[in-house]
Amino acid sequence: MLTTFSYAVTIVVALACSVPLFYILSTSLKDQQLLFTYPPNWIPSHLYWGNYTSLLFKTPFLRWVLNTLVVASSVTLIKVVFDSMAGYAFAKMRFPFRNALFVVVIMTMMIPFSAILIPLYFIIFNFGLLNTYWALILPPLANPIGIFLMRGFIEGLPNDLENAARLDGVSEFGIYLRIILPLVRPGLVVLAVLTFLTQYTSFIWPLVAVNDQSMQLITTGLATQRSVWQVNYGIFSAGAVMALVPIVAFFLLLQKQFIAASLAGALKQ
Amino acid sequence: MTAESAVGPAPAAFPLTRPGRPRLSKADHRRLRRRYEIGRVAVAIGFLLPNLFFLIVFLLWPLVQVFIEMFQTGGLIEPIRYVGLRNWERIFHDPVVIQTLGNSLRFAVIIIPTMLVLGLLIALVLQNVKRGGATLRALIYLPVLAPTVIAGLIWLFLLDPDLGAFNLFLRVIGAKPLIYLGSTDLALPSVAAMEVWRSIGFWALYFLAALIGMPRELYQAAHLDGANSVQRFRFVTLPLMRRVFLFAIVLATIFNLQIFDSVYVMTDGGPANTTATFVWYIYHALFFFYRTGFGATMAFLLLLIILALSLVQMRLLRRRIGV
Repeated sequence: MLTTFSYAVTIVVALACSVPLFYILSTSLKDQQLLFTYPPNWIPSHLYWGNYTSLLFKTPFLRWVLNTLVVASSVTLIKVVFDSMAGYAFAKMRFPFRNALFVVVIMTMMIPFSAILIPLYFIIFNFGLLNTYWALILPPLANPIGIFLMRGFIEGLPNDLENAARLDGVSEFGIYLRIILPLVRPGLVVLAVLTFLTQYTSFIWPLVAVNDQSMQLITTGLATQRSVWQVNYGIFSAGAVMALVPIVAFFLLLQKQFIAASLAGALKQ
Repeated sequence: MTAESAVGPAPAAFPLTRPGRPRLSKADHRRLRRRYEIGRVAVAIGFLLPNLFFLIVFLLWPLVQVFIEMFQTGGLIEPIRYVGLRNWERIFHDPVVIQTLGNSLRFAVIIIPTMLVLGLLIALVLQNVKRGGATLRALIYLPVLAPTVIAGLIWLFLLDPDLGAFNLFLRVIGAKPLIYLGSTDLALPSVAAMEVWRSIGFWALYFLAALIGMPRELYQAAHLDGANSVQRFRFVTLPLMRRVFLFAIVLATIFNLQIFDSVYVMTDGGPANTTATFVWYIYHALFFFYRTGFGATMAFLLLLIILALSLVQMRLLRRRIGV
């Protein structure tokens, strides 16, 4: 009884969550004219690719995809290296004011991004970096969540391995590179997924940091087309599908890490 | 002092533990130790520096700037002038500030209870779903993957008065179609519904993780004592989940006081500012009204609110952070 009830509720919820996405997929493959037909047909009788071709060839969408990939992968790569280094220092090294410094880092986690939006805009403006990749890549590097995560992962490693390496004369950087990094691989993957996902979905900062059409990301590009495309839902749907496909594919591959990453990422707004 | 060489012969007064081997003098020992300590601190700084640099330049420095800009006007077009606390006076006399604060609160009040209660219920039923559970969980989690603006665009279509799925459904069952985002009454609840839709999967899995982590012995003990499933939920699960729940409330409040993306694409604050949120107004203060000081003062107010909530969150988390 309980199981049947549970299944019924779960299936209803799963449908409520996913049907809009499949509806968008179906809309993206329909001629705009068909949207006005009543009753609506769910599965288009023939696949219409016009929305995709106009999105890909008549708008800078591909450029936005490229920008998103460049920005998100750069931030991810840099964050994984820097955060694992800082995490190692906080977890294993002894230096004065270590705990005090770590508390300061944790405190910066409480600063909501929207609160520093205005001065951040001026800093990037004064550096003359508006409308560049630098504007999109540098500010997101100032995010302490990764340090916190990596410290947690590295703290759990046994000290014996590093000490053995130290006795063999390996330098601290060598220990980080050859002992610590291979051992925290699962943690690095979680951090990489979290960082990439945060960048892929980020909106308010790219919105203020760039305004050239050619510098937009997928999110800001599609959002700012709203007034241009009006109710051309076919092309919007194609854009939404194209934005979602890579991330969903990625999710299906790394489901466990995705969920771990998003639960960990909850600590930072 | 015997500081000339690091490895000198031991002074005669110093008893040797193993005769014949050279032994460091106390001073030498201290000097080497100091050098080692300095080296160690230098290495630690080297490992921390790349991160600290960015944290200082793009997080702490802007924070200081917010504080300074709070006492200024101008900056973008007009020259900077120091006006003391006038900006605070202005924000509390600006009806839109009060309205956007109210809207942000309304969003939080609608979204948080709905989301958390539904999330917990879904987590409870998901616990009993074994076969096909992975697929169902993935389907529930799908909207969480969508960037908020993409989710907003999808809902913009669903809520369209003429073409949207909601009104198609209403027409099918013979009800009168509604205007959602264009109406001052329904716009905010509609955006709130989108927010619930896109985050429910996250909270379901968050609570599911908490439920799975509960000690099974307590349930077995309760079962032996003759507690039925409702009693077990009421007297075992709920008390154990208290911290998890409190944490979720604080976290969700912090998130939902900062709603911007969905409002930006779905309504842009309209109609008649009924969906304009606090962050939306901070953004507008800078990019539409060029009122930097005014915006910075609102940002500072937001910071204070979030900080207060974060302190509560820290207290709840203290054991997990381990400092």
